[in-house]
Amino acid sequence: MDNIVFGIGITALAGALATVAGAAENTESDIGSQGDPNSQVQLAPQMGYLHRIFNKAVAGEPPAWGLWIALGAGISWAFMAMQINPILAIVLGCIVATLVQGVYATTAYLGRTASLAKFGQPVFVDILKSMTTVTMAHAFVAIFTTVTMCHLINSALGHPFPLPLLGLVWGIALGAAGSATGNPFYGKERQYQSQKFGAGVPIAASGNIVRYAEAGERNSLDNGWFTAKLAGPASGVCFGMIVFLEIWRTVLFEPIAAGWGAIVVGIILILIFAVIDRYAEVWARKNYGPYTAPKKEEASE
Amino acid sequence: MSAIGAKPAAGGSLDPKAAIIGIIILIIIIALAYVLVGASFAFMALIGIIIGGILIGFGVHFVPVGGAPAAMGQAPGIATGVAMLAAGAGLAGLFGGAWAYAAETPDLVVSVVTGAIGGGLMMAITCFFVTFIYVYGMGIPCASGKVLKDPLTGDTQPEYKSQGTEGHGLPFISWVGGVVGGLFGGAGGTLIYIMLLDVYKGALPGMMDAQAAQILPIAISLAGIFAVGMFLVNAVLAAYNITGTIEGPHDPKFKRFPRDIIASAVASAVCGIVAIMIVAM
Repeated sequence: MDNIVFGIGITALAGALATVAGAAENTESDIGSQGDPNSQVQLAPQMGYLHRIFNKAVAGEPPAWGLWIALGAGISWAFMAMQINPILAIVLGCIVATLVQGVYATTAYLGRTASLAKFGQPVFVDILKSMTTVTMAHAFVAIFTTVTMCHLINSALGHPFPLPLLGLVWGIALGAAGSATGNPFYGKERQYQSQKFGAGVPIAASGNIVRYAEAGERNSLDNGWFTAKLAGPASGVCFGMIVFLEIWRTVLFEPIAAGWGAIVVGIILILIFAVIDRYAEVWARKNYGPYTAPKKEEASE
Repeated sequence: MSAIGAKPAAGGSLDPKAAIIGIIILIIIIALAYVLVGASFAFMALIGIIIGGILIGFGVHFVPVGGAPAAMGQAPGIATGVAMLAAGAGLAGLFGGAWAYAAETPDLVVSVVTGAIGGGLMMAITCFFVTFIYVYGMGIPCASGKVLKDPLTGDTQPEYKSQGTEGHGLPFISWVGGVVGGLFGGAGGTLIYIMLLDVYKGALPGMMDAQAAQILPIAISLAGIFAVGMFLVNAVLAAYNITGTIEGPHDPKFKRFPRDIIASAVASAVCGIVAIMIVAM
């Protein structure tokens, strides 16, 4: 019984850490314009729209996060093997991983922006100086929480994978969840605020991103401020639920019926999410109405 | 630059010459493995790895991926790359499957199914949150650009598409496709991991002159790293087959999967024989 209570406690803590990690990950990637919407930041100067937005995507978001978190976890693991206190070891490992992220952000921004020189897009040194530290701060939060979560899964719950491998697995999953959930909000709602709300961005508007904020030219800190209100928390809850439900069903139901208990609970959870998803889809169709040739009901919004 | 602009020909038929060459390479590798290790467990493990690779490659075709256009609400799907999302889901499945296989009396079937459900659950949650952001954050209903009606729910699609786009969000068929892709990916990744783990657990103690318990962490790490690597190999192969975006099983590009099955089988056989031979020779 004690074991189960301990397991549930660790599960809840891991889920909470994952929620913070998801929120920080998405805000970091929106400030750095790292996910898929970066294609619009890259395209804008080619269409004649110069901007002051950070642009650091080189590889995809999930592999990059897999690298940073595996690196943080690996170094923490090495420090722990040297009998250093785990908390100190994790902090030190994550600082090193964050420094690597900082180097990546700097070279990616300079390289990507330099490739746009022929379109007249300058490298803003003040942007580099002010944004890099902010993305690094967010990256540290995301790396630290994910590595701590992996350490809990490994040492407290007894997952067989060593810490660096868990870091790679959950780092890629973190990047995948964040880039799937948070990026559309940044890509459409933030970059295309000049477009009508409640509609997709027409293909013809590609590259015509909004470049001015309330007080002068918009920069990536404004983007972080904006996306932190919905995209970040949504990514956090998404990743937190993935981690929490995956561990919860294993810890509680794995012993039932030689492992089939966890499988049945997993299937039930998938069906519950199917119902919720379908509800949201039908709700949208009823409330937003058809865009063209309404047949039965008026377009309400 | 947009993946929407370059609309591929539907289907994409199998090139018979390339397919035959692929199958011949596959047969040569399997025959080579049989000659080298005989009808032993290592040989069966290679067959398991090939099946796992095929499951991953096939599964990736179900995952609705919209890439950059999806991030602007220009195309339906999830706003990330094919390989990345499938890898995220499959590795989440591998996490669960490996955990189940670490039980006192590990069971292959239970572990592989646990891995499949882990991948499916990850995709179910992610796909739901994608719908959540589109509907409640951006005020956009889900609409497919590839079919007139959702094959599962029968919902009509074109009138919910906003002007100048290829559709947006995740229609229900795409949601189901994502979950099915996660199921296949999780099962394939876990199968590869278990096959390799059993080979390493059997061979490493003799090779390193150590006890089985001492060797276990090394065997788990090696098998895990190879499983992650092979997962990425197959996911990237499938991504090249899909080229850009896919909406799910109703998308015409889904019919390209036979090409990927041959490619995944050959690639998994090559990777698998290397992974097995480092201990079996």
